[in-house]
Amino acid sequence: MDSSDDDFYSGEAMDDDYDYYNSDDAEDNDDYEFIEEDPDEDIDNLTSRRQQQSYTVLKEDDICQRQEDDITRVSTVLSISRVDASILLRHYNWCVSKVHDAWFADEDGVRKSVGLLEKPLVQFPNAKELTCGICFESYARDEVLSAVCGHPFCSACWRGYISATVNDGPGCLTLRCPDPSCRAAIGQDMIDKLASGEDKAKYCRYLIRSYVEDNRKTKWCPAPGCEYAVDFAAGSGNFDVWCLCSYSFCWNCTEEAHRPVDCGTVSKWILKNCAESENMNWILANSKPCPKCKRPIEKNQGCMHMTCSPPCKFEFCWLCLGAWSDHGERTGGFYACNRYETAKQQGDYDEAERRREMAKNSLEKYTHYYERWASNQSSRQKALADLHQMQTVHLEKLSDIQCTPESQLKFIIEAWLQIVECRRVLKWTYAYGYYLPEHELAKKQFFEYLQGEAESGLERLHQCAEKELQQFLTDESPSKEFNDFRTKLAGLTSVTKNYFENLVRALENGLADVDSHAACSKTTSSKHAGGASKGKSGRGKGSSRTGGSHDTGR
Amino acid sequence: MQASRARLFKEYKEVQREKSADPDIQLVCDDSNIFKWTALIKGPSETPFEGGVFQLAFAVPEQYPLQPPQVRFLTKIFHPNVHFKTGEICLDILKNAWSPAWTLQSVCRAIIALMAHPEPDSPLNCDSGNLLRSGDTRGYQSMARMYTRLAAMPKKG
Repeated sequence: MDSSDDDFYSGEAMDDDYDYYNSDDAEDNDDYEFIEEDPDEDIDNLTSRRQQQSYTVLKEDDICQRQEDDITRVSTVLSISRVDASILLRHYNWCVSKVHDAWFADEDGVRKSVGLLEKPLVQFPNAKELTCGICFESYARDEVLSAVCGHPFCSACWRGYISATVNDGPGCLTLRCPDPSCRAAIGQDMIDKLASGEDKAKYCRYLIRSYVEDNRKTKWCPAPGCEYAVDFAAGSGNFDVWCLCSYSFCWNCTEEAHRPVDCGTVSKWILKNCAESENMNWILANSKPCPKCKRPIEKNQGCMHMTCSPPCKFEFCWLCLGAWSDHGERTGGFYACNRYETAKQQGDYDEAERRREMAKNSLEKYTHYYERWASNQSSRQKALADLHQMQTVHLEKLSDIQCTPESQLKFIIEAWLQIVECRRVLKWTYAYGYYLPEHELAKKQFFEYLQGEAESGLERLHQCAEKELQQFLTDESPSKEFNDFRTKLAGLTSVTKNYFENLVRALENGLADVDSHAACSKTTSSKHAGGASKGKSGRGKGSSRTGGSHDTGR
Repeated sequence: MQASRARLFKEYKEVQREKSADPDIQLVCDDSNIFKWTALIKGPSETPFEGGVFQLAFAVPEQYPLQPPQVRFLTKIFHPNVHFKTGEICLDILKNAWSPAWTLQSVCRAIIALMAHPEPDSPLNCDSGNLLRSGDTRGYQSMARMYTRLAAMPKKG
């Protein structure tokens, strides 16, 4: 997943600073009383870091434009035709510098391996008629066509050949002369001249796809139906990108965006969520095999006297798994099997029992984190829908009722955007929490403290945006309290943003603050989290992140 | 359909004209169907197939020559790249390396070349491939020679 990181960094640096997703916040919140902490240097830094974008979202036009530009560059520098430049670029995965390097190191070698000939291989200077190499019919000289190599084929056979390859898939981009001994590359000029409209369109589609898919720096947005691509340049270690379709994903692993949790943890967590192994764990924790037929049995109520379901019908004691016929007054009564207690004291049951107990604990732990992960997930989905509703319907209505221009209602949209983003972060912190080792108590406490702060801040914000807004939507006339509401919501937005930034920062440096302030984990304020240490802890950070994440500029 | 028929007819005429040109290959078109061909090829010399005559069956698709013909051995042969039961042949030019400039005749030539130079690393007949891969050339040759005698040579007496 992450072994190719280095390549992103070795590519030429892109200096475009596109601000597609750039919520300019914090500017009108400064006077708000809710802010407990000064908007100190840290936060300014963080804000600017968020805005430094290391990626660009490309629409189809942009992709074509870039492809054209690259072709122009190569064609100009190497003094070759645009068609040849395109073939070369495709061969070198659309990396202009690689084309240049290879070409100037060994032009002949490159020409040979790519199939760019300088002069014909075969010539028929005096022939009036030529035989097509596919249908073997004779044609007048001007009726046959050849690539640079000179091998003659009639136009019908060319068309058939091109059509067969185009319909065979993206391999048509590396089309060669039909003569088996000839390696001459067939470029887009031949396609344009000979292919049907449909095949031409397919070829162009493959060419664009190749530009995105073969290129190390670009990937398609993985959202269903989205046709944008994202160009990612080296720089920050933050792989989260926001596509114009509003989907956010991790550029490194193409799962949905999961900052501050690293790709490794995410893939483990996703695997865990879909793994059958949890079913097995449940069976192990909550059932025992019937001592006779070995089918797993769940005891959901009642006494220890078990009767296996037909056809087995074996009667046994749930505690000691011995036959019920051995039980009675002399074993300590039907409801307390002292055989079990005695055996437990002797250590007979330890192994199996401990395993069952552990499975149960681990399952309960998993369930705990999973439920919270999932509920934040669905909460985020709901918030996205609400945001959409707000943008398309309610905002206009609210503007009319409160006699306020929509531009002055931006704070509501910002609040919702913040909610959506926070739900996402919060969700992933539960995956993080699940993998935080039990024995690192101080870290765990600190983490849960930060998470708790962030979560309660978010709940207040969500509550305010969802419920308190309602009354202003039903007002008959402009409400006096609307201004107070504005102040409150904007304040909550900014405070929540701070909490989450602290949380994100703390998790991204592996809760390293705990190491330096190990003793005072309870008293550490959230302000502390950002300020102190820039030490990096190895824990919880997959190699994928640490490779490029020394960016924080603190 | 029309193009493939025309092309096959060309090949047919070429074969008739050159009947003596390549003594190792004898291509015969089916009496009633120009899309069905059989070929008799001679086992190449200095191989365990020397002295044998092997029969191939061609099924030509309608998209021929843009699509390759399907070829299989009718004669049993012990060779790493030929399925021992079905006679199916694993050869790149019959799959992804096909070029429409190839002909049935050149396919036969390629198959003769394959008989002389087996590719034990992509075997259809694993037993045969394993013999070669483990360096047991003698074992491979005697097995192949035995099957050539049994299946590809006229019965004596």
